[in-house]
Amino acid sequence: MRLKLRGKSFGGRAVLGPLSLEVERGDRVAILGPSGIGKSTLLRIVAGLDPAFDGRLTGADRLATVFQEPTLLPWRSARDNIMIPTGCDGPTASALMDRVGLPGREAQYPRQLSLGQQRRLSLARAFAARPDVLLMDEPFASLDAETATRMIDLTRDLLDDSGAGLLLVTHDPQEPARLGARALRLSGTPAILG
Amino acid sequence: MSNAAPASRPYSGWVPGLLSIVLMLALWSVVALITDRPQTTPAPWTVAARIGALATSGELWFHAGMTLFRVLASFAIAMAVGLALGLWMGRSRLVDSWLNPALVIALNIPALVVIVLAYIWIGLNEAAAITAVALNKIPVVTVMTREGTRALRPDLDDMARAFRMSRWARLRHVVLPQLAPHVAAAARAGISLIWKIVLVVEFLGRSNGVGFKIHLLFSSFDVAGVLAWAFAFVIVMLTIDLGVLRPWERRANRWRHDEA
Repeated sequence: MRLKLRGKSFGGRAVLGPLSLEVERGDRVAILGPSGIGKSTLLRIVAGLDPAFDGRLTGADRLATVFQEPTLLPWRSARDNIMIPTGCDGPTASALMDRVGLPGREAQYPRQLSLGQQRRLSLARAFAARPDVLLMDEPFASLDAETATRMIDLTRDLLDDSGAGLLLVTHDPQEPARLGARALRLSGTPAILG
Repeated sequence: MSNAAPASRPYSGWVPGLLSIVLMLALWSVVALITDRPQTTPAPWTVAARIGALATSGELWFHAGMTLFRVLASFAIAMAVGLALGLWMGRSRLVDSWLNPALVIALNIPALVVIVLAYIWIGLNEAAAITAVALNKIPVVTVMTREGTRALRPDLDDMARAFRMSRWARLRHVVLPQLAPHVAAAARAGISLIWKIVLVVEFLGRSNGVGFKIHLLFSSFDVAGVLAWAFAFVIVMLTIDLGVLRPWERRANRWRHDEA
């Protein structure tokens, strides 16, 4: 995955300046910066959710996103929430649910799971897509310290096992270290990587 | 979580509902007895006897069947076209600005005008009858679907795009489940509106169906007959509502409840 950005603006206001970013399988990159700096905007561009930018996004890698919120389909069972978006088969989905600590929860609907469980399900969904690069948008924010630690460890283990790359967006400088990721800082107006 | 209340509601609603029907029948009986004019205010048992006679002669099933066929055909067309138009208008502001004036006009054209014009332009046939009814209903379904489409969750849309879900999978698993309450409301409101319009269509230009029978009975001022046909068909429609639409709605809303 390779992004050469000349700039990104919203209604005439420049948010992101010229920057280039490259993440490959096995690479782990974290983008740090205060909220409102444009981290999520950058991630949305990489994820292909915002095509209105000045620059070039190249690479045929498979990407999968873990959003800030679990963003599950409330009307589909936990297992369908993994299978439908990613197209993986039932046994794979069940195996991943075991892996993230949700064994036997296949038939439950998202609202029957706690928020921590929903986030783990969302993580399982992303890995079910067999990504070359995993994109994560503040996935550990708004979790209590203990749950966040467990989620970070789980994410690291899954990255180790699958060999997927990581592009993480966060405001917490401790997260990159715990995930073994190279930290880049986004700052200035319009924001650039430093 | 305290979600016991919605589950017990249908049962507690039965008793007052049943009592109110009994009360209405009693009131009707009293009025019929006091006025003592069986020609214009027939008693409930007279009407019930007529329904029984119609049912045993087989006449009821043929004409009610024809009416039901027209109801279902125009309902299916109206739901399909209305759903597609509503989705299109809800998703694209440009399409909405172009089609909205036509929609507002369509919503305000009297049903009778559409029916008369359909019979003149298409001819006095089945196609004209069904088209006229569907045309009357399409704008309402369109508006309800459009409102639902505008309220679609953007975060789920992002998720579907980020995971490269196919168009069909997005429609089926992301969009339609969110529209289900709006579609169910449009269907329930629609089926009752449609059968009333079907009767007018039959009254004006068909030679079978409940509306046609009412036309004949109207010419002979047979009030008991008119009421018998009307109530018989109300029972048919209520059966569909209770037996088909409500269970479907319950099934579609299963995920909202906590049953483990």
